[in-house]
Amino acid sequence: MDEARKDEDQRLVARTQEGDAGAFDDLVVKYTPRLYGLVYNMTSNHEDTNDLLQDIFAKAYKAIRGFRGKSSFYTWIHSIAVNMTLNFLKKRGRRYSLSLDDVDASIQNDKEFLEATASSSPVREADLSELQKRLNEAMMKLSDEHRAVVTMFHIQGMPHAEISKILNVSEGTVRSRLFYANRQLQNYLDEFRKNPVS
Amino acid sequence: MDEFNDNEITKLLRLKKYEQPPPGYFDNFLHEFHRRQRNELLRQPLWRICIDRTRDFVLSFNLGTLTSYPVAVTAVLMCAAILTLRIYQTPQPAAVASNDRPVLAVPANVEEEWTLASPVATRVFSTRSLRNMTESAQTHRKGTPPRYVLDSVPVSYETTFKF
Amino acid sequence: MRRLSSFRPASRFSLAGIAFFAVSASLFAQQQPQPQEPTSISREVKDVFERCSKAVVKIDATDQHGELSGTGFFVDPMGTLYTAYSVGGEADNISVEFKGKKYPARQLMADLRSGIALLKVDLASPALPIGNSQQLEIATPVVAIGYPLDLSQTPSFGMIAGFDKKCLGGFFPTTHLRVNLPPQRGEGGAPLLNLKGEVVGILLYSFESNSCYALPIEAAEKLRSDYVRFGEPRYGWIGTNVQESAQPVEGSRAVTTKVMKDTPAFEAGLKPGDVVLQIGRTKVHEPEDILEASFFLTAGDAVPITVARDGEKITFQIQADSYPDGRLPAAASNRAMPLNLQSVPERTP
Repeated sequence: MDEARKDEDQRLVARTQEGDAGAFDDLVVKYTPRLYGLVYNMTSNHEDTNDLLQDIFAKAYKAIRGFRGKSSFYTWIHSIAVNMTLNFLKKRGRRYSLSLDDVDASIQNDKEFLEATASSSPVREADLSELQKRLNEAMMKLSDEHRAVVTMFHIQGMPHAEISKILNVSEGTVRSRLFYANRQLQNYLDEFRKNPVS
Repeated sequence: MDEFNDNEITKLLRLKKYEQPPPGYFDNFLHEFHRRQRNELLRQPLWRICIDRTRDFVLSFNLGTLTSYPVAVTAVLMCAAILTLRIYQTPQPAAVASNDRPVLAVPANVEEEWTLASPVATRVFSTRSLRNMTESAQTHRKGTPPRYVLDSVPVSYETTFKF
Repeated sequence: MRRLSSFRPASRFSLAGIAFFAVSASLFAQQQPQPQEPTSISREVKDVFERCSKAVVKIDATDQHGELSGTGFFVDPMGTLYTAYSVGGEADNISVEFKGKKYPARQLMADLRSGIALLKVDLASPALPIGNSQQLEIATPVVAIGYPLDLSQTPSFGMIAGFDKKCLGGFFPTTHLRVNLPPQRGEGGAPLLNLKGEVVGILLYSFESNSCYALPIEAAEKLRSDYVRFGEPRYGWIGTNVQESAQPVEGSRAVTTKVMKDTPAFEAGLKPGDVVLQIGRTKVHEPEDILEASFFLTAGDAVPITVARDGEKITFQIQADSYPDGRLPAAASNRAMPLNLQSVPERTP
């Protein structure tokens, strides 16, 4: 995480602790897109994500006076977000419904994604929305904890060290969970390929 | 780890970066956040608002460290209690291995016999006590071989077609 | 950023057209069996042993009846290993012998129904690749690697002799592989490997003098997946009983006799008298086919169940629940005895 961002966060936190609510607003605006991605990819439900984000920032606002800067604000707010989402998922249990956001069209400019999907020997035809659905279903088949590390590492691009700080586990545990999760995702996607369901 | 699979999964999951909420969502989020905060404040009971205001007032004098004192005192008291209990606790003799436990759940019509089913013969014992754990621990170290495991019958059976 | 839905259908379709199948193609490609040059069986078997033996370990432990010894094998690079329930299910002081040293192991999960246990050693380990037991046929050659008695690592060679649902008067929880391979005491938990060196089963029980039964690896992996997802086995249950009917209906003799109230089956609309035809992908002809399908049902997962009722075929989407306490199918009649000292039930004629 870059130093400039860290410094800015520190300033905004200090101002919030002094009573400047506008400073906290700046932190909300800054972190909402990122935390939205984290929570949405763990829940695959837009409405749940919205509710959770409101609760996360509400909790952060209440707790920020006690924030002593032992970790960065970035790590701190991500920890709150992950823990609240995990608790929510535990309560939600297995009865969930996907409520997926649209895939932005700029994906067609994503070279890496296109590389992964370029092929000269198609197995079956499918559209992007079906791929999106399959990926989300595969993600939801993972345990909540494994989905969290996949989201943070593969989707949000966080390094192992940062994830281990957020989850308060060792880097070895993060790697181990990623290994299991990758295998599971591989199997689930294979399964869908072998048994396409209309 | 299979590097190829790892990259493949990462590339596929890039799709999820492009899943975006409806336009204007983030712009509207802060307004919604303020609205909820106001609602919550109005819903709080008066005594709660007073406590929060008092706490904020106290904390504004940087007396936050005071909050850690009750925790520290509680921890000291708990440690003292535990130590007291340990000092005055009389040591109990190890009771773990002193029970002779009979073998359970043996059918009444079972006789001591060797089955001819396989060289990995199973032996059916009538009800009697086996050696207790301490004995096992001691005698096995004197050169008695361990039990080499290969079951001759399944550990469980399905008995009905329920699902 | 422009939304995908604002694009013309044709360009969306073309983008769509390259999307999923290419993913699938690349995933598919790596699963294709490599064409093999003809080699002698002895060379293949030796090769399997040389490649796979390093991931097979001796397990020592103590249970209420004394010390025991068995076999296990690593399935990932983090020291996770499979063994038989009789080895790692009810024991403590578990240690694993690897590269000449002993390491303590802890139990992650043990499941009496399937007969296996999952253990963990904290070390970087070689792992056996997982194979596909569905590709096995009668007479497919297989290799087991285990630790018989107090001997060093030993290979055994044999072939698939059958796919059995029943044994000695009782039903297996899922179809087991019968293998004509002479197992020896101490080899409970040994991996069963195809000639590509992939695990296709876990050796659990001896049978007659020179045969044995192995749990298909998919059954073990279902449980490992449950462990990863839930921390424990999570068999699915819908709340219905099935018996054999006198006359087959649409090729099936499995008739529902009871649908318990307030269960997933009841809520979905299943009724007594419905003849079960298919559960998920498993076609049902006899009541014991139910066991196969239900073993792989996971609580929380939805499964399509097709029945015949009054001359019509109806398909229900039923979301399985967890087994209510005490209902989990597992007779385990001699549980308190050392599991390899159990009595042999009477054989069916």
